[in-house]
Amino acid sequence: MRWMMFFIVGFFLANSPDATAAHVGLACGSCHRQGGSSSDPASRESRASGCVGCHQGRERIFDHAMGQRAGEKRFVQRSYGRLDSDFWDKNCTSCHLKGCLDCHGERGISKPSVATCQRCHNGYYTGWDYSGRAPREDNMRYQRGVVVNGATFLKMLPDVHYSAGMTCGACHSMDSLTKGKKSSKGCYDCHTPDQNVLEHRIPAHLQRLECYACHSAWAPQEYGTFFLRFRDQRLKEDFDLTPGPSPEYLRSAYLKRQDAPPLGINAAGRVSPIRPMFISYYTDIMRARNSGPENTLLAAEWRAYFPHTVQRGTVTCEGCHDNPTRFLLEPEARRIYDLRKDGMGLESFWLQNGQRVSNGSFMDGARYLRLSSKSPAYTKAYLEKWKNFLNRVENSSRP
Amino acid sequence: MLIHTVRHDNHHILFLLLFCTLTLLSGCHRGTKQSSCVICHKGIEFASKTHGDCVSCHGGKPLEEGKEKSHQGVFGIANPEYIGRWENGCAPCHKYQFERMKSNLMYTAAGMIRNIQLTWEGENGNSYTSHGEKQFAADGKPFSPKPVAELDNLSGELFRKFCARCHVGAETSGVYAASHASGCAACHFPWNDTTTYEGNDKTMKGKAGHSASHTMTPLPDTQVCARCHNRSGRIAFSYQGLYDGNNGLVPTRGGEAGPVMVSGARNLTHITPDVHFAAGMECIDCHTSRDVMGDGFAYRNMYLQTEIACEDCHGGAVEVPRYREITRENDEALRESRSYKQPVSYGMRMIQTAKGRNYSNVFYKDDTIWLQGKRSSKMHRSKVITGTPEHTIIGHGRLECYACHSRTSVQCYGCHTRYDKGKAGMDFIKKVETPGAFSESEDYRALYPFPLALNQRGRISPVTPGCQTFVTVAEENGSLSKSEYVTKFNGSQQLRFAPFYSHNSGKKALACTECHGNPAFLGFGQNIVEGNSITGTLLCERSDSKPLDGFLTMNNGKVNAYSAITRENSRPLSGLEVKRTLAVNLCLPCHSTARDPIYRKGINHRALDDVLHRRLLSGE
Repeated sequence: MRWMMFFIVGFFLANSPDATAAHVGLACGSCHRQGGSSSDPASRESRASGCVGCHQGRERIFDHAMGQRAGEKRFVQRSYGRLDSDFWDKNCTSCHLKGCLDCHGERGISKPSVATCQRCHNGYYTGWDYSGRAPREDNMRYQRGVVVNGATFLKMLPDVHYSAGMTCGACHSMDSLTKGKKSSKGCYDCHTPDQNVLEHRIPAHLQRLECYACHSAWAPQEYGTFFLRFRDQRLKEDFDLTPGPSPEYLRSAYLKRQDAPPLGINAAGRVSPIRPMFISYYTDIMRARNSGPENTLLAAEWRAYFPHTVQRGTVTCEGCHDNPTRFLLEPEARRIYDLRKDGMGLESFWLQNGQRVSNGSFMDGARYLRLSSKSPAYTKAYLEKWKNFLNRVENSSRP
Repeated sequence: MLIHTVRHDNHHILFLLLFCTLTLLSGCHRGTKQSSCVICHKGIEFASKTHGDCVSCHGGKPLEEGKEKSHQGVFGIANPEYIGRWENGCAPCHKYQFERMKSNLMYTAAGMIRNIQLTWEGENGNSYTSHGEKQFAADGKPFSPKPVAELDNLSGELFRKFCARCHVGAETSGVYAASHASGCAACHFPWNDTTTYEGNDKTMKGKAGHSASHTMTPLPDTQVCARCHNRSGRIAFSYQGLYDGNNGLVPTRGGEAGPVMVSGARNLTHITPDVHFAAGMECIDCHTSRDVMGDGFAYRNMYLQTEIACEDCHGGAVEVPRYREITRENDEALRESRSYKQPVSYGMRMIQTAKGRNYSNVFYKDDTIWLQGKRSSKMHRSKVITGTPEHTIIGHGRLECYACHSRTSVQCYGCHTRYDKGKAGMDFIKKVETPGAFSESEDYRALYPFPLALNQRGRISPVTPGCQTFVTVAEENGSLSKSEYVTKFNGSQQLRFAPFYSHNSGKKALACTECHGNPAFLGFGQNIVEGNSITGTLLCERSDSKPLDGFLTMNNGKVNAYSAITRENSRPLSGLEVKRTLAVNLCLPCHSTARDPIYRKGINHRALDDVLHRRLLSGE
């Protein structure tokens, strides 16, 4: 048995691609100092006692977002938790740090690859989009194609940084995560806005916009997230939806999109992509069948965020300056989805009324009117932009 | 006429049984012996004032007693070959309609069959219809298409096993909200969602497989059309403001999937309906009987059979609608309007369809075009747009009205069709299960924005995937002989879009900047613009460079089309047309409305360099 253990450990270490060498030369006891041979020296419970001897202070990662998930817990508390106090335990516990090896144990002890991060950062959560993946619809009819991390996806244009071979760690260093920061690098750490680009010469753009307000090519957006509770499993029969982590629940959505995301104001006061997170509805199927409430709107919250779908290109000027819907100021004449008829408790997903940005705010109507008014400066720049584009479009076609 | 289905041994052969009725009031006395029909079917409704005699429609032996004896010879039950359509029950009196229906696309399905052929194996030189009956082509010459049962390839099988459920020549049963009779009764009797009789005949009350009442509906309502026109283009849904989008089955209704459920376990949510629907108009208020039942000639596609156009009532850019006075007693409008609350009469000036025939409910009176709701008799004033500045824009002469006036256009992206040879599937034409079953999955649906391209008339029209078929064939042992194969169209492997009118039109047109400022409308899919390239962001699984939701790319100023637009003479916009369309953006910031006079002179882009423009643009 003991030899078997040595063999396993040896194999584990020998397969570590990068961080290996350092660990191969170590005596077993350097890591396995406590609790005997079968203890997990990298566990969260022991605060990574076997690792922090060398990697001092790294255990603090357990105190921050990935370890605590405080924001998500608070959201559940103020939404689904009001109707099911165990909602979190039933639906949300598959992604939280259990120890260092969650990320560093992929193939031996290693630095995490993009795929490692995406074991948790997938689906509607930022990270999958980096590789060009958007969540598919929840009905089984749409569950097709390649499966990664147990989920299918729509193939989208991947982030330029991903295409260039950069891993998540390039911007999200261990140092930054240990300190509870989201990232170690911002756009400006590597990039300087090129003044030859017309949009960069517009001062308001650089002063008031996050780079990724324009350079996020697309973003998954889920409009109306439904959790349907089945106390009786037999009632699931008519709901051909993708099974989730809890047998008691099925999740679905009213509408999903993955085009250029709406814009709002983030905590830093800058214009940023925002997306529903979440416009939450709850139906207890059995109660609803006994004339109880259903489709209860528990939250209508948006979050300012950074979709990891960066491209050099952007939408056209009209995409923002002639598009009130993008700022949740949808004119009635352009309304497509009639939520009132469906009893959704909101007039439109693209109207600010009754909704809020949990880490920022919506753009106010007066400010949108200013940005959509065609000032001489706007017109001049707009014409330059289109002229510059059109001068380089060929009249030819390929049959 | 009551219609009764019986499920035979293999659970698939359905026959219509036609029951006898009502004789006491209708004069069916034969000597002293009374008809036995109403002994069992007491209380059944009259089919109509003119359809009082049960035997002339239903056959049977009304003087016999008891079900077994009296039902002998009833059309359907006595003759297993009789498929309950119309040959015996309706055709003897309605020969004109019967002969037209035999060439009608809703019966022949010739268009669907041909389109499937084009998508899969290509045409093989033969024409096929559901039943292969003799027809007359549009040029009047007789021709004999083959029955689709003889189309012995995947195209034929796909049609027979998937599409043939919705054709007027066959009954559809057991499908929620989509079941109907075959033949005339499919449209002219009221079918409810569960095909359950709810009339006054206690013998039949509550039984499934029958129309809801025995009272005929000479004028079918919108729900009748929606029983079939709810897939593919889904026009009956879009028209009513319903969308079977992502099949999310929410929001729930009473704890069931919702909010509105239809066939195939699909849920519908609400969108803004078509402006005509909102005004109270039904399908038949625009569509003539010749649109719906055919005009006696066989057409290859529905767009050739359809005889109406928006311009008929609203006028074109330069031509106003045309009318013709009723001067003859055999004018179709007189006959067709007999069931309207206000039939038309001699001397009325009837508006003409695009094929130059009279509408039976649209007329010119007091300098106004009026449309009478055929069922409602509600009068609708039709606004004529001829000569208005918005509709005389140079360059817009090639636009279909619904290029700008469609609010949405349903788009189903990625149709992944799997053919399992190891499974059996029901052949709805041969009416037997045969080896081979089809199943489908898909990628994504969208309503807006929607792409535009040239249609078969050379006009700019919305187009929708039609189809983006990816074929997987599983052999009997489970191995895949084809996997996500893109079929050939016009000789090369490519996906296809089809010109399409979504029937979700709005009074207010799209804004200029929507089409001119968003390349998605030109066929680039959801996109970003970089330098002189337009890059799609939703990609086809089979290619890293081709958008799934478009058919054009622009790389370094060069426009490439990589998907076909089906139908003769159809095509995506050329590089020159793309450039011209986008060049309008140079005018739009200042000349922002369609009424602006510059758009009726033809755009002169050099004007930007004249003194006036230079001064304006320099902000002086």
